[in-house]
Amino acid sequence: MAEITATINGRQVKAKEGMTILEAALESGIDIPTLCHRPELVPIGACRICVVEVEGSRTLVGSCHTPIAGGMVIHTHSDKVLATRRMIIELLLASHCGSCYMCDKANICELRKIAADLEVGLPRFQMRKNYYALEDISPYIVRDLTKCIMCRRCARACREVAGHNVFGIAYRGFDTKVVVDFDQPIDKEVCRDCGVCISFCPTGALGKPREAKEEKRGKPLIITS
Amino acid sequence: MPAEPDVTRELKEILSRYSGASSDLIPILQEAQEKFGYLPEEVMQRVARFLRLTDNMVYGVSTFYAQFSFTPTGRNKITVCRGTACHVRGGARILKEIERRLGIKPGETTEDMEYTLETVACIGACALAPTMKIGNETYGQMTTMKAAEVLGAKEKAS
Ligand code: SF4
Ligand code: SF4
Ligand code: FES
Ligand code: FES
Repeated sequence: MAEITATINGRQVKAKEGMTILEAALESGIDIPTLCHRPELVPIGACRICVVEVEGSRTLVGSCHTPIAGGMVIHTHSDKVLATRRMIIELLLASHCGSCYMCDKANICELRKIAADLEVGLPRFQMRKNYYALEDISPYIVRDLTKCIMCRRCARACREVAGHNVFGIAYRGFDTKVVVDFDQPIDKEVCRDCGVCISFCPTGALGKPREAKEEKRGKPLIITS
Repeated sequence: MPAEPDVTRELKEILSRYSGASSDLIPILQEAQEKFGYLPEEVMQRVARFLRLTDNMVYGVSTFYAQFSFTPTGRNKITVCRGTACHVRGGARILKEIERRLGIKPGETTEDMEYTLETVACIGACALAPTMKIGNETYGQMTTMKAAEVLGAKEKAS
């Protein structure tokens, strides 16, 4: 594959043709936050947290799905980029339940971690929260869609990694929701316990039923500043 | 409530005219919606099997579009425009009047299955604002009086 040269944050970097901006950045040690993207999955560019500035481009571009091209001049952490990322997190948190304290995945939650990294505190917006009934009838999986950020990682992992097709995306706009069949709660009939989707979910929306006295997973996230 | 339609036979007839390509999905759903007045779960299941899609794919597509409904709808669909132009010219009053006369809210169906009330965000005839539709017929420059008249005329005709 042909090698190309681009500039990221003022530094010349080499990349292979066909790589995304994100891949090239990671390879040269530059970290860009991602939420909907995972290297194992086909990128869909849904969450926009990975946006970067490309000189000459009218808008910010999603680095997880935009191929890098020779001669591109890219800024991954400019003021504009950071302001946009903060806004996205603020909007996500505005419709989020905000019960981190009680959340089983608080210590490994990617949403919370990125919010901390970007120093987003209380969102400025008051929005309707999407509260859904907790789905805990399956012995293998607990779904709390109130915490879902619609990254679709579960649905894609189920299809692309596990080779099943348990989840679909239904409704539209604010009502968009990850559904099972005709929007039934997930039970052990439709989903065996492969657990792939759980490990792909960046938030507390998908989890394993927790045994009594079992500790939360991960290390507590201590924010110092 | 009307009896559950006999979907098996009627759906078979619809499906027989399609090759089973996944691009047939929306046309099939439209025909089924037309025929049954809504999309019963059984219909979506059979369509999924016919097109080799999963249930959740068919459900995802059909819930995305406002033209499909999942509960039985009335014989006449009344759509009141809540777009900007109609709002400015009193669309909200038209809606109120119809709600009051039929005793239902948007998204609901009268008990006699005669009317289903819905709102849209612009019918596309803003020059005639405020607008509403009954079935495929569009009514423009509505007033509460006219709304009452149109409903009354429908009532007599049926
Ligand atoms: S999913 Fe993350 S952000 Fe949401 S309540 Fe749990 S820890 Fe907090
Ligand atoms: S359940 Fe989790 S993985 Fe699935 S869309 Fe919601 S946040 Fe993403
Ligand atoms: S990580 Fe790139 S758009 Fe979500
Ligand atoms: S706003 Fe009512 S028709 Fe356009």
